[in-house]
Amino acid sequence: MSDTILKINNIEVKYHEVILVLKGVSIEIPRSGIVALLGANGAGKSTTLKSISGLLKHEDGAVTDGNIEFEGQRIDRKSAEEISRMGIVQVIEGRRVFEHLTVEENIKVGGHRRQKGFSVKDGLERVYHYFPRLKEKRNEVAGFVSGGEQQMTVVGRALMTLPKLILLDEPSMGLAPMLIHEIFNIITLLNKEQGISILLVEQNAKLALNVSPYAYVMENGRIVMDDTSETLRENPDIKDFYLGMTDIGSRKSFREIKHYKRRKRWLS
Amino acid sequence: MDFTLLMWALVNGVMIGSIYGLIALGWVLIYKCSGVLNLAMGELTLIGAYLCLTIYTFLVGIDFPFPFVGALILTLMASVVLGFLTERIFLDRLIGEPVLTIIMVTVGLMFVFRGLVGLIWSTDTRIFDPPVFSMDVYEVGGIIIEQVYLWSFTAAISLWVIFYLFFKYTRWGLSMQATADDEMAALSVGISARFVYSAAWIIAFMTAAVGGTFLGVKNGLNISIGELSLLVLPAVVLGGLNSIPGAIVGGIAIGVLQELSGFLLDPYFPGGVKDTAPYVFMIIFLLFKPYGLWGWVRIERV
Ligand SMILES: Nc1ncnc2c1ncn2[C@@H]1O[C@H](COP(=O)(O)OP(=O)(O)OP(=O)(O)O)[C@@H](O)[C@H]1O
Ligand SMILES: [Mg+2]
Repeated sequence: MSDTILKINNIEVKYHEVILVLKGVSIEIPRSGIVALLGANGAGKSTTLKSISGLLKHEDGAVTDGNIEFEGQRIDRKSAEEISRMGIVQVIEGRRVFEHLTVEENIKVGGHRRQKGFSVKDGLERVYHYFPRLKEKRNEVAGFVSGGEQQMTVVGRALMTLPKLILLDEPSMGLAPMLIHEIFNIITLLNKEQGISILLVEQNAKLALNVSPYAYVMENGRIVMDDTSETLRENPDIKDFYLGMTDIGSRKSFREIKHYKRRKRWLS
Repeated sequence: MDFTLLMWALVNGVMIGSIYGLIALGWVLIYKCSGVLNLAMGELTLIGAYLCLTIYTFLVGIDFPFPFVGALILTLMASVVLGFLTERIFLDRLIGEPVLTIIMVTVGLMFVFRGLVGLIWSTDTRIFDPPVFSMDVYEVGGIIIEQVYLWSFTAAISLWVIFYLFFKYTRWGLSMQATADDEMAALSVGISARFVYSAAWIIAFMTAAVGGTFLGVKNGLNISIGELSLLVLPAVVLGGLNSIPGAIVGGIAIGVLQELSGFLLDPYFPGGVKDTAPYVFMIIFLLFKPYGLWGWVRIERV
């Protein structure tokens, strides 16, 4: 871990000035590395991503303590637009395509900002190179394509912003195993071939530990553990909570009861 | 019943309705992009219309060859500035505040603008002088069409086409559509909400100005133009609050409804039917289809 692209230093995050959600979170992402962030529902994973991308401010949240540095520059006070311009993009959870636009228009929206040496055509070529399926579907309305294709669309859209760091929020959510496999392969390729750094939020720990060499585990707004994936895989608590029950089939039903905000005490 | 008269009412209804549809388009755009009901839309039409009248009078004064076209183009350009300023001065600092607060601000805007209009242009009825269109009429298959109707229709259609091309083929238009679909997702790829809101207000101002101008050319210009353009409310309700094609079709439907009710019901209920019919219709319609014809179609994947 020689060169660090992103450094979160002990941040505290509040929503609406009173709801304390993150209580001292520190994370480091090496340049061109993949880091996973694991944790149960409501642990604060998405909030962590939104703090980095600046989207937090649009939900009336704020980093009230600590700071975030991207390539040595402090970004926690910057707007989502500025942060995006610096090369960070968040793929928000839930496959949020622009439903009434076609797949190709969705992808083009990612390239709305003209950058030096970037043409929409090349950008599209790059996306279709990694997601050949999208090329077939490009003229279909995004609201009607399959879940997997929607997930590919939002990752492709993010790719169009020419990011240095992608924040991926639960890309496997609600997808069939085959598709999850396909998407994760592509994500790994993007990291290897394009050198894009990735912060991957997952509830599917098995999967996440497979693609990322290093992982953080979050509970109740705190990082409770971080280590190499190898070590974590052997950790009895992790085994117990995650790897034991997380074959993908049972995970799906787990997602469905998400709205009850199931909170499980674990790792203790 | 006289068939030609009926056709006449229909054709005129479509043409005048296209103006409502144009104004409704601006209104829907603000709603789609920012979730705000802009209650000051009527006042935007007033300002646009008065501005155009003033420029027209000036251009006539200096013997400009096509004073009305020139005035319309200059008014559109001024609308860009006014729309931008309105958004920046009154609404920008409210981004993220509760929607109800912002709607109340548009009510405030309504009074401010109305006061300004009274102050600058007084409250007497003004007309475009000399008349913009000659009184000669066109006759198609026995149906008589006044020039002002025909040109209103042409202007409305031209603007629709321009906006369609803008939304479909420019990255700014695409960004606006994206924001209307899912604001958070749009922000996540770095689209500026400020830009989108300004653009929505600019376009609303442009549609209002053109709409107000043609209504003013047709009826003479006074405060009531502002009220007339509130007919966009039934129009957008009919089409569905967040549908652009719905706004256009809704506007046309309201125009037709107005003319037809004037034509069919006036003999029985003299006076005023024309003005109340759209609202009565809107209320009845809402009972049966609370989301309008095309409103809130969330795509459900199977
Ligand atoms: N906009 C908000 N306003 C207030 N509280 C919020 C907001 N967003 C999230 N929270 C709260 O913050 C906590 C952490 O939420 P977050 O979405 O970050 O969890 P998560 O780890 O991503 O969970 P999940 O796996 O369910 O996506 C939760 O208790 C949630 O209720
Ligand atoms: Mg989450």
